[in-house]
Amino acid sequence: MLWVFTVVIAVLAGIVAVTALAIVTVRLVRRRRQRRTARLAAQPRRALLAFVAENGEEGGDELVAVPEDAWRAAEPHALALLGKLRGEAHLGLVSVFLRRGAARTALGQLSSRSPVRRARAAQVLGDLELRRAVPELCRLLTDRHAEVRVVAVRALGRIGDPAAAWRIIAALDRPDPVPSLLATHTLVQLGPEAEVTLSAALDHPQARVRAVCLDALGLLGAAGSVHRIARVLRDDAYLDVRVAAANTLGKLGTRSALEPLTQALRGSRPAALRAAAARALGDLGAPAAVPTLRDLLGDEVFQVAHEAAHALRRLGPAGLEALREVVEVETGTRSGAHAGFSTAASHAREALALAEVLQGERVGAAA
Amino acid sequence: MIEELVRDALRWTDLAIFVYFLALNSSYLVLMAMAGLEFGKHLRRIPFAGSDDMFRSPLTLPVSVIVPAYNEGASIVAVVQAMTALRYPRYEVVVVDDGSSDDTFEQLRKHFDLVPVPRVVPAEVPYRSQVLSVHVARDNPQTLTVVRKTNGGKADALNVGINLSRHPLVCMVDADSVLDPDALLSVAKPFGDDPLRVAACGGVVRIANGCKVVGGRVVDVRMPRQWLVRIQVVEYLRAFLMGRTGWSRLGGLVVISGAFGVFRRDLVVEVGGMDPETIGEDAELVVRLHHHLRRTRRSDYRVIFVAEPVSWSEAPASLRVLGRQRRRWHRGIAEILGKHRRMIFNPRYGRIGLVALPYYVLFELLAPVVELAAIVLLPLGLWVGAVDVAFAWRFVLVAYGYGLLVSLVSLFIEEVSFHRYPRWSDMARGVVAAVLENFGYRQILAVWQVAGVLGAVRGRKAVWGAMQRQGFGGEVDSTEMVGVGRS
Repeated sequence: MLWVFTVVIAVLAGIVAVTALAIVTVRLVRRRRQRRTARLAAQPRRALLAFVAENGEEGGDELVAVPEDAWRAAEPHALALLGKLRGEAHLGLVSVFLRRGAARTALGQLSSRSPVRRARAAQVLGDLELRRAVPELCRLLTDRHAEVRVVAVRALGRIGDPAAAWRIIAALDRPDPVPSLLATHTLVQLGPEAEVTLSAALDHPQARVRAVCLDALGLLGAAGSVHRIARVLRDDAYLDVRVAAANTLGKLGTRSALEPLTQALRGSRPAALRAAAARALGDLGAPAAVPTLRDLLGDEVFQVAHEAAHALRRLGPAGLEALREVVEVETGTRSGAHAGFSTAASHAREALALAEVLQGERVGAAA
Repeated sequence: MIEELVRDALRWTDLAIFVYFLALNSSYLVLMAMAGLEFGKHLRRIPFAGSDDMFRSPLTLPVSVIVPAYNEGASIVAVVQAMTALRYPRYEVVVVDDGSSDDTFEQLRKHFDLVPVPRVVPAEVPYRSQVLSVHVARDNPQTLTVVRKTNGGKADALNVGINLSRHPLVCMVDADSVLDPDALLSVAKPFGDDPLRVAACGGVVRIANGCKVVGGRVVDVRMPRQWLVRIQVVEYLRAFLMGRTGWSRLGGLVVISGAFGVFRRDLVVEVGGMDPETIGEDAELVVRLHHHLRRTRRSDYRVIFVAEPVSWSEAPASLRVLGRQRRRWHRGIAEILGKHRRMIFNPRYGRIGLVALPYYVLFELLAPVVELAAIVLLPLGLWVGAVDVAFAWRFVLVAYGYGLLVSLVSLFIEEVSFHRYPRWSDMARGVVAAVLENFGYRQILAVWQVAGVLGAVRGRKAVWGAMQRQGFGGEVDSTEMVGVGRS
């Protein structure tokens, strides 16, 4: 029995020594590699900065001529720059990448067996805003690895080809769909040309798809879709979708949104929908909403009353006047200084106080 | 005859304890292997993680950062300044002054030009103290809110903060924490990537003692000066960084530190917020979330842990404070496991019920009891002749040698993955601390932890007590958040 212990101790001692040695080795190797990378990247990084400083007009040939190992060392920096640059400098740097064969390599790697390589390649193609890569990137939307699909969606957004809209919408209708927020952001990046597709997708059987399209339409300012969105607000079977429709109508800010939003405030509607509709009325900026919102200040659901008060605040002078009236009426009828305010007056006081602070902040900023 | 029976019993008990130590350290190694795989995956994906896109997107979910504070006057301004300068597109900071007896509020009022606002405080989650006033920063009313309330403990302060938070995600942060600039972005990212399933996400907490902190940012990571804190650095790496990452990969994470964690607000409200009766309210919330989500959604949700960037916290530098902290932590584990005992070995709760919670009973709750038993029974076995000296020293060497190996492996993974301690001397100190941990530290820790379990069993009210803070980069005295039972 004891010999087993002795063997175990010897093995443990060996592993402890190897682990300690491995820590030292890893550290030495890392330092050596970092020094080498820094040395190799120094010249191309300087050239890159000079190229950007010249707005991409000069220095391109020099960057194309950088040896492969030095370019590899500086590539993370160059890719980071690519994501930040706009205009001529961006186009110039894209041209450098293309001349160095980056697009060809990335397109080839889209079929790699490694999900990390496929994702990296998609990222590069997106950074290069390469339109001819759109069909290949759309193919990646059905990749078996979720992270590859996510990077492909992001890359399609960077490229901004509206032809990809349907494929992105289809990627939402899967058992393991791409994240809704990312899809929304990407669909917005595709621009107003995607509006027709998004509006048509409001009839999609999948609730998630409808919610994403509503959010995207709101951010695109798709005023032409108000009637379709109002129909979703009224009839959709899913509460989350109806809430998204209310938010979208608020963002669009058209007069025709007033009536459907007011209808959504009825007491029989779910509290989350009523709160969203109240908030949307504030976003709408229509003074005609003041009486409706004022009636909601005393609502028994905290969120509805709270949103109504702040919607009135955002509506400007007419809304603020309504809030003041509610507080003044109550102040005049209160039995004593220590008597509490009603729900309506409490919410009105909160909104007025915030309006006052925000006004002060604006004045301060202007000064 | 009886003597022989006692000797046999002791012999077998010592052997059982030995097997227990092997199993315990092997389980740590498995978790570390999982963590190593997770770190590798994380590091390979950084180039296409999309953090910059998240920062630029108008759709990134806004976060309410809740900072409960009790007598933090000496450091609160720097902490709030740093928190209002995090890299995140849209967030608010809600500081809850839990009845401080020092100048915590006055410092905030002066520095941020606070003005009172008559906020209506909903009771979406119950709280038992009284909210005295709510203030906003005059120059930044949408970003900074400060609440004054009567003292009710950390959980109660968090509940008030949750009620006042306006955003769909709530991030709970200790008032002595220093966050990396991208910390919020990283810990909130999983919610954007998988918004329907991610319920909570914990961030890693590292020890700030010895680090250089400038303008609320850790700018130079160094090992602390005291060996007591250095040992804790190794312990944090092994237990928190590696352990929790491993559990996250296995889908069994049950602890998210109260010092840095993000939760979906609607789910926190659904489960009733923090439990003020439990001293480990952070972990209790996570277990309760699992309980709720397993019942309502089966397994279609995720509670995860991100290893980088981090929140930096000050660790106890004296045995007195460390003892109090560890008694409290272990008492928290005992209370949580007691409260949720019906989940243990219950297949309805999947990996949480069948793997994670039984593991916590066996290897977290009972570990100090077994360690103390070994300290007592091994010499006793020697004395009565149940075991001989040759067995005893080998037993001790294997048990502690395996523990040392586990600590070294965690240092190795840290070196490969994050390399936070760039100085050779700091890494050498880490290795020495891993050795020293076995001489006195583990044993005294076991005593405190058993005392914590006994406290939970007796059901006495827990007291958090005061902590003398060293401060970040200066001598700062303040007291730690007071929990349940403080009058």
